[in-house]
Amino acid sequence: MSDMASTTVTFRVLRGTIINDKLVQKTQDFEVPVDARTTVLSALEWIKGEIDGTLTFRRSCRASICGSCGMYINGRTRLACKTKVTDLLDGNAFKNIAPAKSAGVIEVGPQRNQPVLKDLVVDITPFYDKVKKLDPFVQDGPEKQIHVSKDAFSQVNMVSNCIMCGNCYSDCTAMVENPNFFGPAALAKAYRFVADPREGHKTERLQELSEKNGIWDCTRCNMCIDACPKGVAPMEAIVKLRSLAMEAGITDNKGAKHAMVFKDDIATWGVLNEPFMLLKTAGVVGALGQLGNALNLAKKGKIPNPFPFDHKVEGLDEVKAIYQELKAHPIDVKTRSNDDGPGAG
Amino acid sequence: MIQHDILIIGAGLAGMRAAFEGISAGLDTAVVSKIHPLRSHSCAAQGGVNAAINPKDDWRHHAYDTVKGADYVGDQDSIDLMCSEAPQAVLDMDAMGCPFSREEDGTIAQRAFGGQNFPRTAYAADRTGHAMLHTLWEQAIKLGTKVYDEYYLLKITTDNGRASGAIVMDIKTGKLHQIKAKAVCVATGGYGRLFASNTNAMTNTGDGLAHAMRAGAAAADLEFVQFHPTGLRNSGILISEGVRGEGAYLIGKDGQRFMHKYAPNKLELASRDVVSRSMTTEIMNGNGVNGGVFLDVRHLGRDLILERLPQIRQLSIDFEGVDPIDAPIPVRPTCHYTMGGIRTDKVGHSEQLPGLFAAGEAACVSVHGANRLGANSLLETIVFGKITGKEIVKFVTEGAGKDWPNVDSADMQEVSASIAQLKARPAEGGTRQSDIRKELTEAMQEYCGVFRSAEGLAKAKAAVEKAKADMKKLCVDDKTDAFNTDVITALELDNLVLLAEATVLAAIERTESRGAQSRVDYPARDDANWIVHITSTVDKNGNVTLGRDPVRTVNNPDYAPAERKY
Repeated sequence: MSDMASTTVTFRVLRGTIINDKLVQKTQDFEVPVDARTTVLSALEWIKGEIDGTLTFRRSCRASICGSCGMYINGRTRLACKTKVTDLLDGNAFKNIAPAKSAGVIEVGPQRNQPVLKDLVVDITPFYDKVKKLDPFVQDGPEKQIHVSKDAFSQVNMVSNCIMCGNCYSDCTAMVENPNFFGPAALAKAYRFVADPREGHKTERLQELSEKNGIWDCTRCNMCIDACPKGVAPMEAIVKLRSLAMEAGITDNKGAKHAMVFKDDIATWGVLNEPFMLLKTAGVVGALGQLGNALNLAKKGKIPNPFPFDHKVEGLDEVKAIYQELKAHPIDVKTRSNDDGPGAG
Repeated sequence: MIQHDILIIGAGLAGMRAAFEGISAGLDTAVVSKIHPLRSHSCAAQGGVNAAINPKDDWRHHAYDTVKGADYVGDQDSIDLMCSEAPQAVLDMDAMGCPFSREEDGTIAQRAFGGQNFPRTAYAADRTGHAMLHTLWEQAIKLGTKVYDEYYLLKITTDNGRASGAIVMDIKTGKLHQIKAKAVCVATGGYGRLFASNTNAMTNTGDGLAHAMRAGAAAADLEFVQFHPTGLRNSGILISEGVRGEGAYLIGKDGQRFMHKYAPNKLELASRDVVSRSMTTEIMNGNGVNGGVFLDVRHLGRDLILERLPQIRQLSIDFEGVDPIDAPIPVRPTCHYTMGGIRTDKVGHSEQLPGLFAAGEAACVSVHGANRLGANSLLETIVFGKITGKEIVKFVTEGAGKDWPNVDSADMQEVSASIAQLKARPAEGGTRQSDIRKELTEAMQEYCGVFRSAEGLAKAKAAVEKAKADMKKLCVDDKTDAFNTDVITALELDNLVLLAEATVLAAIERTESRGAQSRVDYPARDDANWIVHITSTVDKNGNVTLGRDPVRTVNNPDYAPAERKY
């Protein structure tokens, strides 16, 4: 690897300045000498120190624990301190990094889904405001347990790895559609409290999380799991919250209804009855609101015949058997993921 | 103008814990931090926090271990206070929601740490500092603590010999603000960035300490800087002692082991200071490569490396470009912690500058003396965050700090002018800050590091003088106001230069070897002359002047100086 010592790499940095309250962005190329050790952060530090002190970015610990240096690097949001230049150039399957699209070029821009302040610095206020809205602290209350068992924090530990870097928030696809969505990090943080035996208001939290912009707004696209540098897997936390909410009987919302109809359809028919699903999820009035969409879909022949299935789906008996088995031996969602993330035990 | 009863600088564990006391007492308390509170370097502490919680343990044993670990220059009253208050301080954190790891019966789990006679280190997996920091941040949200997030400290102001507030810069806009306060608490951490190789965050530049000195407070124990033997040569990232525990060798350029020359029995597993000194000797004798030696695990074999040292292997590949299966890992002793700080009384109050308090690594209460024990640093933050916080509350409600101090707008103009001057300096004939930083930190590493001598320290002093001169020519590229990190890092460097001067002078002054100070020309500990703190203050011309301050004792015969054997 030491033969790379004299190589230079092009850093294509998306720079930004606020001029008259408007963000003006343009890319600027820097030729940076790299070797096998160079990280994106050390390269940016080199540019700032040797070439251009105006290049602006946040950084602190250099060891992926403070969460300062989240950036959009070659198509994904990553921590600059943890991302090696060689991995970006050649790809690294183990780290889930694809080779650079244009050879020898590394593109660096600010995190997405957040307002840019300057160059690679974004305004983190909205991100933190959402976390704050969820009352992120252990509360006394009726559901507080005094005894804390040895593995009581096994659930808490994984989400406790979160360093609030905002990378999941930046890559979240649901956020693009609904900027008011709490986002993966805030919901993972919420799970940290729901799963803590010492928390006194678990059900109340689940109720609040089941409302608009909460757990049911996640599209389960997996991007947050990929983006997380600490193995928190926010989406898994969201799925656990959904299950816990439904177990707690919090089902009077579109998300929970949708999940139940989905399950009922599969258990009964082996396939989804999509027109009726809308009706059952959104109700008659809600479904009427979607009438325009439905007519468009119907025109293009995209709505299947909603009336009695005249054929039995192949394998339906097996599907039913799976559901019966699950009913007899339910999976405890809380134990699905052990605390084996980085930094565990 | 902004005003708060209590102004805390720094939002790490010590600062947030002190703020908790201010808010809980119903006082208007604000925290200023140059980075978001969760970015504070407290988050990097892994191991844990010491406290004699177990009924079989005794805080007196903890205190004894600490006095001895400090090589007998720790202040015994503060050490007793810290160790006796430790269990409650940890239980407080638990009650706030910190997820400490548990024993089978649900009690807080504890493990063994170096230099102690009982497993008294509580922990939250291997991210204890992170868990504690998030917990205190959660409490700050719960209590509605005012945090000036991304505001940078430019000056601690005084009024007739009393701290009166601070001048700070809103980094986002570049706008300066004068904040008036009845009490100011500095909790800005250490200054490990002064050394080229260090485990510290890039923000650990001792800002609060340097400004407290300029405002008239004394610092103490600055010569005591803790080095960890095996940081990666390039980045300073820690390679745990556990690797040597697995049987790794330390080898030089010649490929041969050398520890038998220095510690014939314990070899690579001798104590940290011994190993650091041995490695440095080899490097100075020309048996190093690029300022480092090597940690060799190849003989352990591929399977064992993959099975037991996967993270170490990954760190080595990622940050040194070396796969330890095929090649030895370049390492060098790396600066880890600064024992010195703002000199305070037993409860964190500066004696030279009333109204100025300090807590955590920024303070010299002095519980660590010449050498800090592992897991006592997190403890210091939560015990003295709490105690100093309560002391501040007393000071502003019923003490000498009851009345508002006066502030002078001339301070604001002076600071504003100096920043304008820095920005106006032309690039032509100027010096880049990266050059000054590199030269200074390399000289500190080489001449004021693990090993010191009059000869080497003279070179370090010359490097400090050169840096002081160069600072006058420092030019920045970024002339704008908003988020000007070019200016911030230049000002941080200015703070480091002051601390470099104080550290080198104190290291020259202490003509003995004690704890982290190892003088080759004075290899013995000299209890007759040197059971004393060296203090550093800044004179009118901005130069450092040294003084002495006695070590506070408590008349405990167990604390009488003895040879440190482990």
